[in-house]
Amino acid sequence: MRKGVFGLAVVLCSGMLFVGGCAKEELVKKDEPVAPSQAPVAQPATQQAQVPTEPVQSQPVKDSTAVNGVVADSQTTVARAPEVKLQTVYFDFDSYVLTQASRDTLYNNAEYLLKKYNGTIQVEGHCDERGSDEYNLALGEKRAKSALNYLTTLGVPANRLSFISYGKEKPVDPGHDEAAWAKNRRAEFVITK
Amino acid sequence: MKRFLLLILVLAIAGMPATLFSQEEFIRVTAPGNKPLTLMVAPPVPMDSAPRDAIAREVTELFQFDLTLAGSFTVTTPTVTENRGIRPGEFSFAPWQNAGATLLIKSGYTVNGSTLILEFRLYDVIRERELLAKRYSGNIKELRRMAHTFSDDLLLIVTGERGPFTGKVAFVSKASGNKELYLMDYDGFNLQRLTQNGSINLNPDFSPSGRELIYTSYKKGNPDLYRRELFTGVEARTSSSRGINVTGSWSPDGKRIALALSKDGNSEIYLINRDGKQPTRLTNNPAIDVSPAWSPDGHQIAFVSDRLGKPQVFVMNADGSSVRRLTIEGAYNVSPRWSPKGDRIAYCRQQGDFQIHSINTDGSGDVQLTSQGSNEHPRWSPDGRFIVFSSTRDGRESIYVMRADGSGQIRVSRGKANDSHPTWSVRW
Repeated sequence: MRKGVFGLAVVLCSGMLFVGGCAKEELVKKDEPVAPSQAPVAQPATQQAQVPTEPVQSQPVKDSTAVNGVVADSQTTVARAPEVKLQTVYFDFDSYVLTQASRDTLYNNAEYLLKKYNGTIQVEGHCDERGSDEYNLALGEKRAKSALNYLTTLGVPANRLSFISYGKEKPVDPGHDEAAWAKNRRAEFVITK
Repeated sequence: MKRFLLLILVLAIAGMPATLFSQEEFIRVTAPGNKPLTLMVAPPVPMDSAPRDAIAREVTELFQFDLTLAGSFTVTTPTVTENRGIRPGEFSFAPWQNAGATLLIKSGYTVNGSTLILEFRLYDVIRERELLAKRYSGNIKELRRMAHTFSDDLLLIVTGERGPFTGKVAFVSKASGNKELYLMDYDGFNLQRLTQNGSINLNPDFSPSGRELIYTSYKKGNPDLYRRELFTGVEARTSSSRGINVTGSWSPDGKRIALALSKDGNSEIYLINRDGKQPTRLTNNPAIDVSPAWSPDGHQIAFVSDRLGKPQVFVMNADGSSVRRLTIEGAYNVSPRWSPKGDRIAYCRQQGDFQIHSINTDGSGDVQLTSQGSNEHPRWSPDGRFIVFSSTRDGRESIYVMRADGSGQIRVSRGKANDSHPTWSVRW
């Protein structure tokens, strides 16, 4: 039956298969590395995030030294003898509600921002590794905004505050237990100017 | 690009008689009883050049992998020693019949410098008939692509539905230390790096044509959505509103992108045009709304919301109306993805670890598909036969493939770093 159908369907594709050639890497200018808004904290056990005194730019920087900053060495950062004392606040699992301890911490941070430092701050929201990475991007932002909003109710001008969520992409403790998770569910305060 | 179009054209022409044919033969090619078809892969033979064992082995292993995964066959490398020609009349079916074969793939190759010619023929051993014959010519580097194309066509002939094996899988890997985007064949070969920005890159999603990718990157400081043409590398920042611009999902017609934005205060689902313009807000709820996933007809969108306390999968019309809860069981359900056939939605449930489930679109028929390690990010193959996902069952997170019913789970990414967030394109 149907001889032609059974016959050879020749596919002549001389030199046209292309897989390797077409999905070229990065024809566009290579991305500039983003300066780290905050290096990992060296002493997580104290539950205190110390930030460097030196300004950290939030915008992409031209400075080539920022390349190393992407995986910033926390010890280098700490060696800068920080003077700005803004403490990290922590959250319960899958929650962006401020605990009483968090409110106390934010009160101290607000005092500092009102009396001793008049630059701008970015609030970073972070999550532990357990939740979905997609959902955690939104949850991290809720955390950052909870902290930010509380600072504004304490009188810190909103125009000095910005926020960003890193979801679970930047854990401060790489561990896989409750102690590590508790340190990673946090909002950090990074000086931007 | 022209070469790409030419390839599609030629294959389409070649595929036409096969389609007509398959309508008729689909029913007839069945093994006695209910056993899976026994498909034998004869050793590929040299045609007009010297024997090349590496080529023969690669072709054989590729067919074994593709067609075993397909699930309709028991694939064996034959004990039959008959090794004569590959064309009808050049060999006898008797030894293959005696060996128990139902279907037989015969292959021949010719190497001429860097040019490779591969000829594949599929036979119905019982009826002693040729079912499909294709010849491919190209650079020797394209060997796998040629053979995957034949696997796709073979599935069309035998099952009535083309295979997805020529599609690409994009995914996120920490091979360089940070999360960058990579591209590979569905079976893990031909790894290519797509981004190199030293930042955090997340959530790749192919356009329906497979030629463009959207993803979220922190490379300019904020989690913004980017759209990249894979063949040219040209890229645009498609959405960079204040706050998150994440979990982008291309509409089935390629004209719109659903994503989660927080520009109006908290994470909500929006639609934007492919150029980022004309944002339309679909959800309006103080809770978190993320991870939109289109139904294949473009009429509905599944998404994740914690509006009732914990994250659950909801479904709404594509204009934001008629929101209903899909997942009832489980305290934490995320990452929905609608089957291209439209009948099932794959998603992820956290119960300690994450496990992948699939469920009917009316919320019935919930089935757990994975159980080893933590399994996340389910994405369907474009034909709906398979689900690609990430799993930690072997220690680090790697990319795996399984059939839609959860059978045949096998690792495909070979990297030594954590690989996650796979997404499977249509054929290239």
